[in-house]
Amino acid sequence: MPEHRVATQEEWQAERDKLLAEEKKITHRGDELTKIRQELPWVAVEKEYSFETDDGTKSLAELFDGSSQLLIYHFMFGPVYEAGCTVCSSIADNLNPNAPHLKAHDTKLMMVSRAPLEKLQAYKKRMGWDLEWASTAGSDFNRDIGFVNTEEELKPFLEGDIPPVVEQMAERSGTNPGGYVAESPGISAYTLEDGVVYRSYVSTARGLEPTMGYYFLLDRTPVGRDEDRPGEFWLHRHDEY
Amino acid sequence: MATHTVGTDEEWLGARKKLLVAEKEHMRQGDELARRRRELPWVPITKEYSFETEDGTKSLAELFDGRSQLLVYHFMFGFGYRVDEQNPGCTGCSFAADHFDGVLPHLNGHDVTLMAESIAPLSELNAYKERMDWKFPWVSSLGGDFKYDFGAAFTQEQQENGAEFNFRHVDHPAPQREGMSAFALQDGVVHHTYSTYDRGVDALMGTFQYLDRSPLGRDPGGPDSGGSWWKRHDEYQDS
Repeated sequence: MPEHRVATQEEWQAERDKLLAEEKKITHRGDELTKIRQELPWVAVEKEYSFETDDGTKSLAELFDGSSQLLIYHFMFGPVYEAGCTVCSSIADNLNPNAPHLKAHDTKLMMVSRAPLEKLQAYKKRMGWDLEWASTAGSDFNRDIGFVNTEEELKPFLEGDIPPVVEQMAERSGTNPGGYVAESPGISAYTLEDGVVYRSYVSTARGLEPTMGYYFLLDRTPVGRDEDRPGEFWLHRHDEY
Repeated sequence: MATHTVGTDEEWLGARKKLLVAEKEHMRQGDELARRRRELPWVPITKEYSFETEDGTKSLAELFDGRSQLLVYHFMFGFGYRVDEQNPGCTGCSFAADHFDGVLPHLNGHDVTLMAESIAPLSELNAYKERMDWKFPWVSSLGGDFKYDFGAAFTQEQQENGAEFNFRHVDHPAPQREGMSAFALQDGVVHHTYSTYDRGVDALMGTFQYLDRSPLGRDPGGPDSGGSWWKRHDEYQDS
């Protein structure tokens, strides 16, 4: 641990008070953004999609399972993967305990991936999750929303300098960088009214950090995320530490 | 007929891109605050605290369990939201604690120990923990000043005459409040680096974050209304 400035309680308090004012501002700004998110127009999803679930083939409307809202995490587990993406696995660790609370709030939380259902089921068992996880194999669902990338689209990325973290993550999922980044992670939100499904929100990249509770906590520790250090990326599957 | 404005893909995308700019700005403000948190001075802790744990009595330094950083969640037990003899753990803190086991291995792998602390006998904490099926460490600070010194519990005298909560004066603080404190261990000395309370622990509750991204939001009364729809995870009807 690096050397750090040490101070009295009073000195700490004065600096903490200033920071608190900034923290409150950002919390309230977050509340405003939530309002803006809710004001986004809804888009009717007219195309038919089918999902392979533990209870058979379902339509998008059927995934709501009695709730009026649906939140989907697009988990990177492509057909060529041997195991689910490590970072998505850490996200699923975070999502899993929220499902009962969200259900009580009229919101169904689940995950989808392009790998066949049997692969998802086996991996889910290994990881000890009970969150619903459907396969979109044979459906354009992930592609249409922008979370599947074609070889042609990936060409410039794959011909450039591939970041070491992508190499590591691909290897840990039993695939190569091209196979790995054919999938993108994301979240999407839907509502169901009078039998019509509307899409309300989609996010990816750092927009997924709210599903990564460890970042919230690391941002409050003395050392922080500390992700610039060389070597292997710090995140692992929870049964691999 | 939808109860909300319906748009085309293009209309949605235009509004979404505008929002994205604001979301990115907010994210970077968050990064800046995280940097400023790390710049806070550290305060050496000279007072001795002792905790009852599953592995016997431990000092604050021993709670680090071989890691350099420690996060302690101040869990309200025996007092709080919807608490009675059968349900001694605060419902709000139980909701927060539902999120600990998912992040625990990742934080431990990042040199951070995460635990909860309460002023109640260890046997009562263990019984409740077993019911809730939690794995994270939960220690008893009963009989010591720890929870009081870190601003998450208040003496009878403070409850009557006022004290600081969340770094501002409160005329009649509740006996206990929720919060989280961070510590660093260096050369055998424990330093207090950070504490947060009230909505400062909001983002810990993934459910709130996800609802903030759902069409209808987290709470009809707004985020400051102290929403009361949530329960202990084993109290929902079809759980």
